[in-house]
Amino acid sequence: MDPRFIDVLRPLVKTANPEATAITADTDLRKVGIDSMQAIELLFSIEDTFGISLPDEDLNDSTFATAGSLWRAVQAQLQQHDAGASGKATA
Amino acid sequence: MTTPPVTDAFDDLAAQPGTPRVPGLADRVAEVVAVTEEHLARTDREAAFPVEALDALRRTRLLGLLVPPQHGGLGGTLADLVEAAQLLGRSDMSVGMIFAMHCQQAAAVVRYAHEPLRTQLLPRIAAGEVYLASVTTESGKGGHLLTSEAPLHQDGARLAIDRFAPIVTGGAHADGFLITMRSPDADSANEVSLVYADRETLRISGSGDWQPMGMRASHSIPMKLQGTVPAHHVVGEHGNFREIADKVFGPLAHLGWSAVWLGTAAGALSRVLRLLRSPAGKKQFDLRSELLLTRISRARQRLESVHALLQRTLRMVASGEDLSVPSRQLLLNSLKITASQECFAAVDELIEAVGLRHGYLKDSQTRLELVLRDLRSAALNYSNDRLHLADGRMALLDQGVRFA
Repeated sequence: MDPRFIDVLRPLVKTANPEATAITADTDLRKVGIDSMQAIELLFSIEDTFGISLPDEDLNDSTFATAGSLWRAVQAQLQQHDAGASGKATA
Repeated sequence: MTTPPVTDAFDDLAAQPGTPRVPGLADRVAEVVAVTEEHLARTDREAAFPVEALDALRRTRLLGLLVPPQHGGLGGTLADLVEAAQLLGRSDMSVGMIFAMHCQQAAAVVRYAHEPLRTQLLPRIAAGEVYLASVTTESGKGGHLLTSEAPLHQDGARLAIDRFAPIVTGGAHADGFLITMRSPDADSANEVSLVYADRETLRISGSGDWQPMGMRASHSIPMKLQGTVPAHHVVGEHGNFREIADKVFGPLAHLGWSAVWLGTAAGALSRVLRLLRSPAGKKQFDLRSELLLTRISRARQRLESVHALLQRTLRMVASGEDLSVPSRQLLLNSLKITASQECFAAVDELIEAVGLRHGYLKDSQTRLELVLRDLRSAALNYSNDRLHLADGRMALLDQGVRFA
Protein backbone atom coordinates (compact mmCIF):
# COMPACT_ATOMS: atom_id res chain seq x y z
CA MET A 1 0.00 0.00 0.00
CA ASP A 2 1.14 3.49 -0.91
CA PRO A 3 2.47 5.49 2.10
CA ARG A 4 0.20 8.38 1.07
CA PHE A 5 -2.74 6.02 1.51
CA ILE A 6 -1.61 5.17 5.06
CA ASP A 7 -1.23 8.91 5.74
CA VAL A 8 -4.84 9.46 4.69
CA LEU A 9 -6.09 6.63 6.90
CA ARG A 10 -4.03 7.44 9.99
CA PRO A 11 -5.89 10.58 11.22
CA LEU A 12 -9.20 8.69 11.12
CA VAL A 13 -8.01 5.83 13.34
CA LYS A 14 -9.76 6.08 16.71
CA THR A 15 -7.94 3.45 18.74
CA ALA A 16 -6.50 4.16 22.21
CA ASN A 17 -3.11 4.87 20.65
CA PRO A 18 -3.59 5.70 16.97
CA GLU A 19 0.11 6.30 16.26
CA ALA A 20 1.00 2.85 17.57
CA THR A 21 -1.76 1.05 15.62
CA ALA A 22 -0.26 -0.83 12.67
CA ILE A 23 -2.15 -0.35 9.39
CA THR A 24 -1.79 -3.37 7.13
CA ALA A 25 -3.87 -4.78 4.28
CA ASP A 26 -5.75 -6.90 6.84
CA THR A 27 -6.67 -3.99 9.13
CA ASP A 28 -10.42 -4.09 9.78
CA LEU A 29 -11.43 -0.46 9.23
CA ARG A 30 -14.49 -0.64 11.47
CA LYS A 31 -12.46 -2.12 14.33
CA VAL A 32 -10.09 0.85 14.24
CA GLY A 33 -13.05 3.25 14.37
CA ILE A 34 -13.75 4.09 10.72
CA ASP A 35 -17.54 3.73 10.55
CA SER A 36 -19.93 4.57 7.70
CA MET A 37 -20.11 8.25 8.63
CA GLN A 38 -16.32 8.54 8.56
CA ALA A 39 -16.14 6.52 5.36
CA ILE A 40 -17.44 9.59 3.52
CA GLU A 41 -14.62 11.73 5.00
CA LEU A 42 -12.15 9.04 4.07
CA LEU A 43 -13.52 8.83 0.53
CA PHE A 44 -13.20 12.58 0.02
CA SER A 45 -9.65 12.70 1.32
CA ILE A 46 -8.64 9.74 -0.87
CA GLU A 47 -10.16 11.49 -3.89
CA ASP A 48 -8.36 14.74 -3.07
CA THR A 49 -5.02 13.05 -2.38
CA PHE A 50 -4.94 10.85 -5.47
CA GLY A 51 -7.03 12.99 -7.85
CA ILE A 52 -9.37 10.12 -8.64
CA SER A 53 -13.06 9.39 -8.17
CA LEU A 54 -14.29 6.03 -6.93
CA PRO A 55 -17.28 4.80 -8.97
CA ASP A 56 -20.69 4.52 -7.26
CA GLU A 57 -20.54 0.73 -7.62
CA ASP A 58 -17.47 0.57 -5.35
CA LEU A 59 -19.06 2.49 -2.50
CA ASN A 60 -20.22 -0.40 -0.33
CA ASP A 61 -19.31 -2.24 2.86
CA SER A 62 -16.98 -4.74 1.21
CA THR A 63 -14.84 -1.97 -0.31
CA PHE A 64 -14.56 -0.29 3.08
CA ALA A 65 -14.06 -3.59 5.00
CA THR A 66 -10.28 -3.55 5.29
CA ALA A 67 -7.44 -1.22 4.38
CA GLY A 68 -6.46 -3.75 1.70
CA SER A 69 -9.92 -3.93 0.07
CA LEU A 70 -10.12 -0.15 -0.04
CA TRP A 71 -6.58 0.13 -1.46
CA ARG A 72 -7.49 -2.33 -4.25
CA ALA A 73 -10.41 -0.10 -5.26
CA VAL A 74 -8.14 2.97 -5.20
CA GLN A 75 -5.45 1.17 -7.20
CA ALA A 76 -7.96 0.12 -9.85
CA GLN A 77 -8.91 3.78 -10.36
CA LEU A 78 -5.27 4.89 -10.36
CA GLN A 79 -4.48 2.37 -13.11
CA GLN A 80 -7.47 3.50 -15.17
CA HIS A 81 -6.47 7.09 -14.59
CA ASP A 82 -2.89 6.41 -15.75
CA ALA A 83 -4.07 4.40 -18.76
CA GLY A 84 -6.38 7.26 -19.72
CA ALA A 85 -3.59 9.82 -19.31
CA SER A 86 -1.03 7.85 -21.35
CA GLY A 87 -3.71 7.09 -23.94
CA LYS A 88 -4.30 10.80 -24.33
CA ALA A 89 -0.58 11.52 -24.43
CA THR A 90 0.04 9.11 -27.32
CA ALA A 91 -3.11 10.07 -29.25
CA MET B 1 -30.37 -15.65 -33.29
CA THR B 2 -33.65 -16.54 -31.69
CA THR B 3 -36.94 -15.30 -33.04
CA PRO B 4 -38.95 -13.33 -30.50
CA PRO B 5 -42.11 -15.12 -29.39
CA VAL B 6 -45.19 -14.05 -31.32
CA THR B 7 -47.29 -12.36 -28.67
CA ASP B 8 -49.40 -9.31 -28.44
CA ALA B 9 -47.59 -6.77 -26.27
CA PHE B 10 -50.75 -5.96 -24.41
CA ASP B 11 -52.36 -9.38 -24.00
CA ASP B 12 -49.05 -10.62 -22.74
CA LEU B 13 -48.64 -7.96 -20.07
CA ALA B 14 -50.54 -9.98 -17.49
CA ALA B 15 -48.20 -12.92 -18.04
CA GLN B 16 -45.11 -10.85 -17.30
CA PRO B 17 -46.27 -8.16 -14.94
CA GLY B 18 -43.96 -5.24 -14.82
CA THR B 19 -40.98 -7.08 -16.29
CA PRO B 20 -38.71 -5.40 -18.83
CA ARG B 21 -37.90 -7.63 -21.76
CA VAL B 22 -36.56 -5.70 -24.74
CA PRO B 23 -32.90 -6.67 -25.17
CA GLY B 24 -30.55 -3.77 -25.70
CA LEU B 25 -33.14 -1.22 -24.57
CA ALA B 26 -30.52 0.78 -22.67
CA ASP B 27 -28.25 0.96 -25.74
CA ARG B 28 -31.07 2.17 -27.95
CA VAL B 29 -32.04 4.82 -25.41
CA ALA B 30 -28.38 5.83 -24.96
CA GLU B 31 -28.18 6.60 -28.68
CA VAL B 32 -31.20 8.91 -28.40
CA VAL B 33 -29.81 10.50 -25.23
CA ALA B 34 -26.51 11.32 -26.96
CA VAL B 35 -28.35 13.11 -29.76
CA THR B 36 -30.67 14.86 -27.28
CA GLU B 37 -27.78 16.17 -25.19
CA GLU B 38 -26.16 17.62 -28.29
CA HIS B 39 -29.19 19.70 -29.23
CA LEU B 40 -31.07 20.47 -26.02
CA ALA B 41 -29.65 23.94 -25.34
CA ARG B 42 -30.74 25.07 -28.81
CA THR B 43 -34.19 23.40 -28.80
CA ASP B 44 -34.90 25.08 -25.45
CA ARG B 45 -33.58 28.48 -26.56
CA GLU B 46 -35.44 28.46 -29.88
CA ALA B 47 -38.54 26.58 -28.62
CA ALA B 48 -37.86 24.19 -31.48
CA PHE B 49 -39.05 20.60 -31.83
CA PRO B 50 -36.16 18.13 -31.27
CA VAL B 51 -36.14 16.81 -34.84
CA GLU B 52 -32.73 15.14 -34.37
CA ALA B 53 -33.90 13.25 -31.27
CA LEU B 54 -37.07 12.16 -33.09
CA ASP B 55 -34.90 10.86 -35.94
CA ALA B 56 -32.90 8.89 -33.37
CA LEU B 57 -36.14 7.48 -31.91
CA ARG B 58 -37.11 6.41 -35.44
CA ARG B 59 -33.66 4.93 -36.21
CA THR B 60 -33.44 2.97 -32.96
CA ARG B 61 -37.00 1.64 -33.51
CA LEU B 62 -38.02 2.99 -30.13
CA LEU B 63 -41.14 4.50 -31.73
CA GLY B 64 -42.22 0.87 -32.11
CA LEU B 65 -41.38 -0.07 -28.51
CA LEU B 66 -44.92 -1.23 -27.71
CA VAL B 67 -45.71 -2.66 -31.16
CA PRO B 68 -45.88 -6.50 -31.08
CA PRO B 69 -43.07 -8.40 -32.83
CA GLN B 70 -45.45 -9.90 -35.43
CA HIS B 71 -45.91 -6.35 -36.76
CA GLY B 72 -42.17 -5.69 -36.65
CA GLY B 73 -42.09 -3.90 -33.29
CA LEU B 74 -39.91 -4.41 -30.24
CA GLY B 75 -42.77 -5.99 -28.26
CA GLY B 76 -41.91 -4.04 -25.13
CA THR B 77 -43.84 -4.20 -21.86
CA LEU B 78 -45.07 -1.34 -19.72
CA ALA B 79 -41.91 -1.80 -17.66
CA ASP B 80 -39.84 -1.15 -20.80
CA LEU B 81 -41.88 1.99 -21.48
CA VAL B 82 -41.36 3.24 -17.92
CA GLU B 83 -37.63 2.50 -18.08
CA ALA B 84 -37.10 4.19 -21.45
CA ALA B 85 -39.23 7.21 -20.46
CA GLN B 86 -37.27 7.68 -17.26
CA LEU B 87 -33.91 7.45 -19.02
CA LEU B 88 -34.94 9.97 -21.68
CA GLY B 89 -36.36 12.27 -18.99
CA ARG B 90 -32.95 12.31 -17.27
CA SER B 91 -31.60 14.03 -20.33
CA ASP B 92 -34.52 16.18 -21.50
CA MET B 93 -38.11 16.29 -20.28
CA SER B 94 -39.48 17.47 -23.65
CA VAL B 95 -37.98 14.50 -25.50
CA GLY B 96 -39.18 12.14 -22.76
CA MET B 97 -42.74 13.47 -22.97
CA ILE B 98 -42.77 13.35 -26.78
CA PHE B 99 -41.73 9.69 -26.59
CA ALA B 100 -44.12 8.73 -23.76
CA MET B 101 -47.09 10.37 -25.46
CA HIS B 102 -46.32 8.70 -28.78
CA CYS B 103 -46.15 5.30 -27.02
CA GLN B 104 -49.51 5.96 -25.38
CA GLN B 105 -51.00 6.59 -28.85
CA ALA B 106 -49.27 3.53 -30.31
CA ALA B 107 -50.65 1.37 -27.49
CA ALA B 108 -54.20 2.48 -28.36
CA VAL B 109 -53.62 1.42 -31.98
CA VAL B 110 -52.14 -1.92 -30.84
CA ARG B 111 -55.08 -2.70 -28.64
CA TYR B 112 -58.05 -1.16 -30.46
CA ALA B 113 -57.36 -0.61 -34.19
CA HIS B 114 -59.42 -2.80 -36.57
CA GLU B 115 -58.28 -4.41 -39.80
CA PRO B 116 -57.08 -3.33 -42.27
CA LEU B 117 -55.82 -0.22 -40.42
CA ARG B 118 -54.05 -2.42 -37.89
CA THR B 119 -51.93 -4.31 -40.44
CA GLN B 120 -51.30 -1.16 -42.44
CA LEU B 121 -50.30 1.14 -39.60
CA LEU B 122 -48.49 -0.97 -36.98
CA PRO B 123 -45.55 -1.98 -39.24
CA ARG B 124 -45.07 1.68 -40.18
CA ILE B 125 -44.94 2.69 -36.50
CA ALA B 126 -42.55 -0.18 -35.81
CA ALA B 127 -40.27 0.89 -38.67
CA GLY B 128 -40.09 4.43 -37.28
CA GLU B 129 -42.01 5.92 -40.21
CA VAL B 130 -44.96 7.14 -38.16
CA TYR B 131 -44.66 9.47 -35.19
CA LEU B 132 -48.14 9.82 -33.70
CA ALA B 133 -49.59 12.98 -32.20
CA SER B 134 -52.68 13.16 -30.08
CA VAL B 135 -55.52 15.54 -30.86
CA THR B 136 -57.72 15.51 -27.77
CA THR B 137 -57.77 19.15 -26.67
CA GLU B 138 -60.66 21.37 -27.67
CA SER B 139 -61.43 25.02 -26.98
CA GLY B 140 -63.69 25.61 -24.02
CA LYS B 141 -63.57 22.19 -22.39
CA GLY B 142 -60.50 22.82 -20.24
CA GLY B 143 -58.61 19.69 -21.20
CA HIS B 144 -61.50 17.35 -20.45
CA LEU B 145 -60.69 14.16 -22.32
CA LEU B 146 -64.04 12.46 -22.54
CA THR B 147 -66.17 14.97 -24.42
CA SER B 148 -66.00 16.46 -27.89
CA GLU B 149 -68.09 19.11 -29.61
CA ALA B 150 -66.65 18.64 -33.10
CA PRO B 151 -68.87 16.16 -34.95
CA LEU B 152 -67.53 13.40 -37.20
CA HIS B 153 -69.60 13.11 -40.40
CA GLN B 154 -70.03 9.74 -42.06
CA ASP B 155 -70.51 9.79 -45.81
CA GLY B 156 -70.78 6.17 -46.96
CA ALA B 157 -67.38 4.58 -46.52
CA ARG B 158 -65.63 7.84 -45.56
CA LEU B 159 -65.49 9.87 -42.37
CA ALA B 160 -65.12 13.63 -42.64
CA ILE B 161 -62.90 15.38 -40.09
CA ASP B 162 -63.03 19.11 -39.37
CA ARG B 163 -61.39 19.79 -36.05
CA PHE B 164 -59.57 22.59 -34.25
CA ALA B 165 -57.30 21.76 -31.31
CA PRO B 166 -55.63 24.46 -29.18
CA ILE B 167 -52.66 22.25 -28.22
CA VAL B 168 -51.10 19.43 -30.23
CA THR B 169 -47.67 18.36 -28.96
CA GLY B 170 -45.35 17.80 -31.89
CA GLY B 171 -48.21 18.54 -34.28
CA ALA B 172 -45.97 20.18 -36.87
CA HIS B 173 -43.80 17.04 -37.09
CA ALA B 174 -46.29 14.19 -36.61
CA ASP B 175 -46.81 11.71 -39.44
CA GLY B 176 -50.21 10.65 -38.16
CA PHE B 177 -52.85 11.85 -35.73
CA LEU B 178 -55.25 10.15 -33.35
CA ILE B 179 -58.19 12.53 -33.09
CA THR B 180 -61.15 12.55 -30.71
CA MET B 181 -64.42 13.64 -32.37
CA ARG B 182 -68.09 13.50 -31.44
CA SER B 183 -69.44 10.24 -32.95
CA PRO B 184 -71.65 10.38 -36.08
CA ASP B 185 -75.32 10.60 -34.97
CA ALA B 186 -74.30 11.14 -31.32
CA ASP B 187 -76.94 12.52 -28.97
CA SER B 188 -74.43 14.08 -26.56
CA ALA B 189 -70.88 15.35 -26.41
CA ASN B 190 -70.07 12.27 -24.32
CA GLU B 191 -70.31 9.95 -27.32
CA VAL B 192 -66.77 10.29 -28.56
CA SER B 193 -64.93 8.33 -31.25
CA LEU B 194 -61.18 8.08 -31.82
CA VAL B 195 -60.09 8.33 -35.47
CA TYR B 196 -56.70 7.87 -37.12
CA ALA B 197 -55.57 10.12 -39.98
CA ASP B 198 -52.30 10.18 -41.94
CA ARG B 199 -50.79 13.64 -42.17
CA GLU B 200 -50.83 13.53 -45.98
CA THR B 201 -54.62 12.99 -46.10
CA LEU B 202 -55.30 16.16 -44.09
CA ARG B 203 -55.35 19.87 -44.84
CA ILE B 204 -53.53 21.38 -41.92
CA SER B 205 -53.51 25.01 -40.91
CA GLY B 206 -52.77 26.94 -37.76
CA SER B 207 -50.31 29.13 -36.01
CA GLY B 208 -46.86 27.76 -35.27
CA ASP B 209 -46.28 30.20 -32.45
CA TRP B 210 -45.17 28.54 -29.21
CA GLN B 211 -43.44 30.58 -26.50
CA PRO B 212 -43.93 28.78 -23.18
CA MET B 213 -42.02 29.00 -19.89
CA GLY B 214 -40.73 25.44 -20.12
CA MET B 215 -41.22 22.26 -22.18
CA ARG B 216 -40.11 24.50 -25.01
CA ALA B 217 -38.85 21.64 -27.19
CA SER B 218 -42.23 19.89 -27.04
CA HIS B 219 -43.49 22.42 -29.60
CA SER B 220 -47.17 22.13 -28.72
CA ILE B 221 -49.17 24.21 -31.16
CA PRO B 222 -52.77 25.00 -32.11
CA MET B 223 -53.90 23.18 -35.26
CA LYS B 224 -56.88 22.93 -37.56
CA LEU B 225 -57.25 19.55 -39.26
CA GLN B 226 -59.60 18.90 -42.18
CA GLY B 227 -59.99 15.90 -44.46
CA THR B 228 -61.59 12.51 -44.89
CA VAL B 229 -60.46 9.03 -43.87
CA PRO B 230 -61.82 5.52 -44.62
CA ALA B 231 -64.50 4.34 -42.16
CA HIS B 232 -62.18 1.63 -40.84
CA HIS B 233 -59.91 4.34 -39.39
CA VAL B 234 -62.12 4.42 -36.29
CA VAL B 235 -60.01 3.02 -33.44
CA GLY B 236 -62.23 0.99 -31.11
CA GLU B 237 -65.99 1.34 -31.51
CA HIS B 238 -67.84 4.55 -32.41
CA GLY B 239 -68.80 6.42 -29.26
CA ASN B 240 -66.66 4.20 -27.07
CA PHE B 241 -63.54 6.35 -26.63
CA ARG B 242 -64.17 6.24 -22.87
CA GLU B 243 -62.99 2.63 -22.80
CA ILE B 244 -59.73 3.49 -24.59
CA ALA B 245 -59.23 6.43 -22.23
CA ASP B 246 -59.83 4.27 -19.14
CA LYS B 247 -57.77 1.29 -20.24
CA VAL B 248 -54.95 2.80 -22.29
CA PHE B 249 -54.69 6.60 -22.44
CA GLY B 250 -55.17 7.23 -18.71
CA PRO B 251 -52.94 4.49 -17.28
CA LEU B 252 -50.18 4.93 -19.88
CA ALA B 253 -50.26 8.72 -19.56
CA HIS B 254 -49.89 8.63 -15.78
CA LEU B 255 -47.20 5.94 -15.84
CA GLY B 256 -45.30 7.43 -18.78
CA TRP B 257 -45.42 11.04 -17.60
CA SER B 258 -44.51 10.17 -14.02
CA ALA B 259 -41.56 8.14 -15.28
CA VAL B 260 -40.36 11.08 -17.38
CA TRP B 261 -40.75 13.52 -14.46
CA LEU B 262 -38.93 11.19 -12.10
CA GLY B 263 -36.16 10.85 -14.66
CA THR B 264 -35.98 14.62 -15.12
CA ALA B 265 -35.59 15.23 -11.38
CA ALA B 266 -33.22 12.26 -10.97
CA GLY B 267 -31.04 13.59 -13.79
CA ALA B 268 -30.92 16.98 -12.07
CA LEU B 269 -30.00 15.43 -8.71
CA SER B 270 -27.30 13.35 -10.37
CA ARG B 271 -25.75 16.39 -12.05
CA VAL B 272 -25.84 18.29 -8.73
CA LEU B 273 -24.10 15.41 -6.93
CA ARG B 274 -21.44 15.18 -9.64
CA LEU B 275 -20.83 18.89 -9.24
CA LEU B 276 -20.58 18.63 -5.43
CA ARG B 277 -18.24 15.66 -5.63
CA SER B 278 -15.98 17.20 -8.30
CA PRO B 279 -12.68 18.75 -7.18
CA ALA B 280 -14.05 22.24 -7.96
CA GLY B 281 -17.30 21.46 -6.15
CA LYS B 282 -15.48 20.29 -3.04
CA LYS B 283 -13.70 23.64 -2.91
CA GLN B 284 -16.89 25.62 -3.48
CA PHE B 285 -19.28 23.68 -1.22
CA ASP B 286 -18.87 22.43 2.33
CA LEU B 287 -19.95 18.81 2.09
CA ARG B 288 -20.06 18.64 5.90
CA SER B 289 -22.69 21.36 6.04
CA GLU B 290 -25.71 19.91 7.81
CA LEU B 291 -28.02 22.22 5.86
CA LEU B 292 -26.62 21.00 2.53
CA LEU B 293 -26.77 17.34 3.62
CA THR B 294 -30.37 17.75 4.79
CA ARG B 295 -31.43 19.39 1.54
CA ILE B 296 -29.82 16.65 -0.54
CA SER B 297 -31.50 14.06 1.66
CA ARG B 298 -34.92 15.66 1.26
CA ALA B 299 -34.57 15.81 -2.53
CA ARG B 300 -33.56 12.15 -2.61
CA GLN B 301 -36.41 11.21 -0.26
CA ARG B 302 -38.97 12.84 -2.56
CA LEU B 303 -37.62 10.88 -5.53
CA GLU B 304 -37.62 7.62 -3.55
CA SER B 305 -41.32 8.14 -2.78
CA VAL B 306 -42.15 8.76 -6.44
CA HIS B 307 -40.05 5.79 -7.54
CA ALA B 308 -41.81 3.46 -5.10
CA LEU B 309 -45.24 4.72 -6.13
CA LEU B 310 -44.35 4.41 -9.81
CA GLN B 311 -43.17 0.80 -9.45
CA ARG B 312 -46.21 -0.14 -7.38
CA THR B 313 -48.62 1.43 -9.88
CA LEU B 314 -46.76 -0.16 -12.79
CA ARG B 315 -47.29 -3.61 -11.24
CA MET B 316 -50.97 -2.92 -10.68
CA VAL B 317 -51.56 -1.78 -14.27
CA ALA B 318 -49.46 -4.60 -15.73
CA SER B 319 -51.37 -7.19 -13.72
CA GLY B 320 -54.42 -6.53 -15.90
CA GLU B 321 -56.73 -5.90 -12.92
CA ASP B 322 -59.90 -3.87 -13.51
CA LEU B 323 -58.75 -0.26 -13.25
CA SER B 324 -62.26 1.16 -12.93
CA VAL B 325 -62.38 0.10 -9.25
CA PRO B 326 -62.11 3.35 -7.21
CA SER B 327 -59.15 2.21 -5.09
CA ARG B 328 -57.12 1.41 -8.24
CA GLN B 329 -58.13 4.63 -9.99
CA LEU B 330 -57.13 6.53 -6.84
CA LEU B 331 -53.68 4.93 -6.85
CA LEU B 332 -53.19 5.76 -10.52
CA ASN B 333 -54.25 9.38 -10.02
CA SER B 334 -52.13 9.66 -6.86
CA LEU B 335 -49.10 8.63 -8.87
CA LYS B 336 -49.62 11.50 -11.31
CA ILE B 337 -50.37 14.11 -8.63
CA THR B 338 -47.53 13.00 -6.34
CA ALA B 339 -44.94 12.71 -9.12
CA SER B 340 -45.82 16.15 -10.50
CA GLN B 341 -45.50 17.77 -7.06
CA GLU B 342 -42.54 15.90 -5.60
CA CYS B 343 -40.29 15.99 -8.66
CA PHE B 344 -40.79 19.75 -8.93
CA ALA B 345 -40.29 20.22 -5.18
CA ALA B 346 -37.08 18.15 -5.25
CA VAL B 347 -35.58 20.35 -7.96
CA ASP B 348 -36.74 23.52 -6.20
CA GLU B 349 -34.96 22.25 -3.09
CA LEU B 350 -31.78 21.54 -5.06
CA ILE B 351 -31.77 25.15 -6.25
CA GLU B 352 -31.78 26.27 -2.60
CA ALA B 353 -29.03 23.76 -1.89
CA VAL B 354 -26.56 24.94 -4.53
CA GLY B 355 -27.53 28.62 -4.69
CA LEU B 356 -27.56 31.26 -7.40
CA ARG B 357 -24.56 30.30 -9.53
CA HIS B 358 -25.50 26.65 -10.09
CA GLY B 359 -29.20 26.83 -9.28
CA TYR B 360 -30.39 29.83 -11.23
CA LEU B 361 -28.06 30.48 -14.16
CA LYS B 362 -28.69 28.91 -17.54
CA ASP B 363 -25.09 27.94 -18.18
CA SER B 364 -24.63 25.74 -15.10
CA GLN B 365 -23.85 22.10 -15.78
CA THR B 366 -26.66 21.18 -13.35
CA ARG B 367 -29.32 22.50 -15.79
CA LEU B 368 -31.55 23.18 -12.76
CA GLU B 369 -32.91 26.34 -14.38
CA LEU B 370 -34.22 24.41 -17.42
CA VAL B 371 -35.47 21.47 -15.38
CA LEU B 372 -37.43 23.68 -12.97
CA ARG B 373 -39.19 25.43 -15.87
CA ASP B 374 -39.96 22.08 -17.52
CA LEU B 375 -41.25 20.41 -14.34
CA ARG B 376 -43.51 23.36 -13.56
CA SER B 377 -45.77 22.05 -16.34
CA ALA B 378 -46.31 18.68 -14.64
CA ALA B 379 -49.09 19.83 -12.32
CA LEU B 380 -50.83 21.64 -15.21
CA ASN B 381 -50.56 18.85 -17.77
CA TYR B 382 -53.96 17.22 -17.22
CA SER B 383 -54.45 19.49 -14.23
CA ASN B 384 -53.99 18.22 -10.68
CA ASP B 385 -57.03 20.32 -9.71
CA ARG B 386 -59.20 18.24 -12.02
CA LEU B 387 -57.74 14.97 -10.70
CA HIS B 388 -58.32 16.04 -7.09
CA LEU B 389 -62.01 16.64 -7.87
CA ALA B 390 -62.28 13.15 -9.38
CA ASP B 391 -60.34 11.65 -6.46
CA GLY B 392 -62.55 13.41 -3.92
CA ARG B 393 -65.66 11.89 -5.50
CA MET B 394 -64.07 8.43 -5.67
CA ALA B 395 -62.83 8.66 -2.10
CA LEU B 396 -66.46 9.20 -1.02
CA LEU B 397 -67.35 5.91 -2.72
CA ASP B 398 -64.81 3.98 -0.65
CA GLN B 399 -65.95 4.42 2.95
CA GLY B 400 -63.80 1.54 4.11
CA VAL B 401 -60.66 3.19 2.67
CA ARG B 402 -59.26 0.05 1.07
CA PHE B 403 -55.96 0.48 -0.72
CA ALA B 404 -55.28 -1.14 -4.09
